[in-house]
Amino acid sequence: MSGSLFVNPFHFSTMHENPGDMLGDFYTHNFEKGRISHDSMIINLGPQHPSTHGVLRILAELHGEYVLRAEPILGYLHRMHDKMGQVKTPWQFLPNTGRVDYLHPIAWNWAYVGAVERLAGIEVPERAEYLRVIACELNRIASHVMWWGAFVLDLGGVTPILYAFEEREKINDMLQIVTGSRLTMNYMRFGGVCADINDRFIKMAREFIPRMRERLEMYHKLVTGNVILARRITGIGPFDPDLCYRYGVTGPCLRGAGVAYDTRRAEPYGVYDRFRFDIPVGETNCSMGRYMVRMREVEESLKILEQALDQLPDGPIMAPKAPKATWKLPAGEAYFAVEGARGKIGIHLAGDGGKSPYRVKLRAPGFSNLSLFAEASQGTLLADALAILGSLDLVIPEIDR
Amino acid sequence: MNANELYESWRGLEAQVICRHEFKKTGLTCSAVFTPSQVVTAVRKIYEAGYFLEDISVMQVKEGFLATYHFDSTANPGRVALRALSPEGRFLSITSIYQGAEWHERESADFFGVSFIANTNPVPLLLPDDFQEAPPLLKAEKELAAMVDLKLFGENPEIIDPAWSSLVSPVKEQKEEGAA
Repeated sequence: MSGSLFVNPFHFSTMHENPGDMLGDFYTHNFEKGRISHDSMIINLGPQHPSTHGVLRILAELHGEYVLRAEPILGYLHRMHDKMGQVKTPWQFLPNTGRVDYLHPIAWNWAYVGAVERLAGIEVPERAEYLRVIACELNRIASHVMWWGAFVLDLGGVTPILYAFEEREKINDMLQIVTGSRLTMNYMRFGGVCADINDRFIKMAREFIPRMRERLEMYHKLVTGNVILARRITGIGPFDPDLCYRYGVTGPCLRGAGVAYDTRRAEPYGVYDRFRFDIPVGETNCSMGRYMVRMREVEESLKILEQALDQLPDGPIMAPKAPKATWKLPAGEAYFAVEGARGKIGIHLAGDGGKSPYRVKLRAPGFSNLSLFAEASQGTLLADALAILGSLDLVIPEIDR
Repeated sequence: MNANELYESWRGLEAQVICRHEFKKTGLTCSAVFTPSQVVTAVRKIYEAGYFLEDISVMQVKEGFLATYHFDSTANPGRVALRALSPEGRFLSITSIYQGAEWHERESADFFGVSFIANTNPVPLLLPDDFQEAPPLLKAEKELAAMVDLKLFGENPEIIDPAWSSLVSPVKEQKEEGAA
């Protein structure tokens, strides 16, 4: 074996040597410094615990069953999308956007193509705008339904997620026709969309709308009215608007706090200004409020879907001057935001006229929403803290990016 | 307080440059450049005006590190941006005003090696705690672009601090009197 290839097998173990009196790793040690009570217990929730949605880790200082303070530890699913955005051309980076948030990839597609189109001044054909809305809203319903199942699973109800998957599969069947994939979809292109919908898609979507409405009623009968659910989440984790502003919380969490703020209305993009839909706000600002907001948003998305299918114009699906793969992004700066299922997705894009963007910054709504958890969970019961965590609707790859 | 009133208030807050932008083209309504210490005062003002923090986006340019703070309002939608330029990458934390900024600042510190003084928990956020390599988003000297080339300051920037007139495009300087 040559000297340069020799790897010291003890290298990593010596680097991370635990002196023995140190509890846990670097983050636990750091968390330990802020200990409030001398007889409290510090525990790790995750990073592999199923109740924390994948690979989120939360350090919590507990006194009995009460959370004195908690701190989410991120980075276990970090892939450095910002760097990939800077070293790849916009075309090469586009599929990455579908991998940021696996539950609402189409909204991330839209945020990125929107930022590029805004910077380059590309006009999108009308039909493509409608197709974007149709795909995005279908995907939003799938995301909300999936959240509903996972949230109830967090709280101990195992059955509903099986129902949720049924709806999600139906939506995936439709989205598969146009995107070719069922998870990390990549539907949008700079200047349009990659595929037109066909008669089969339209038939399936038309059938899906009344079916989903019926299913929602069933969801409410099955879960919303359930006394265990009501006791677990009503009054738990109240967010007031000021708290949301301080942490940059958006989406259903902000609307749950009673603020009717939706990017689709506040800074209309695409053709969203042509649809009639309401912005549901929470009647109570607790986890139950956020639950109801998401359930009502599914209804609103169905309304938008219905109108979009009715109004769908004929025409091309790609702009005639859509950029080719060798195309260079012009110099300048643009920020484009869309309403994702979890809140405001933002792309801050800067170009210097080179092959790849000068800077791509991804604003993930879940990142801001989760940052509030440390404050919201203070003084709650551990079980309630998990209810709050579930009500935030976390998708870890989006938070870690 | 809407974006226009904020724009006017920035003159009294010792802004270095203030600019209006066309929302359809840039996604911003207006922006201002402050010194890294003065930006905290401007952020306080924005918080009192009811804005929420969208993100903090640091960019490495020829002149140093440019931190851009994006805000939006639920009552008066329209994104505003505050910027601060620090040649050595030292900023003041705004976590005392927007607690949500803690993570954004830690993320920027991870990616660029910049520091936010008085951040409430200045440890790595997304990168490993024992990450030994250079910050991943730092660019090589020859890749760096000047702020002028990135067209960050809109059509008619209002240059208040004369030191900034060379950093903002000299062509746009003449139009400045018309806007003022």
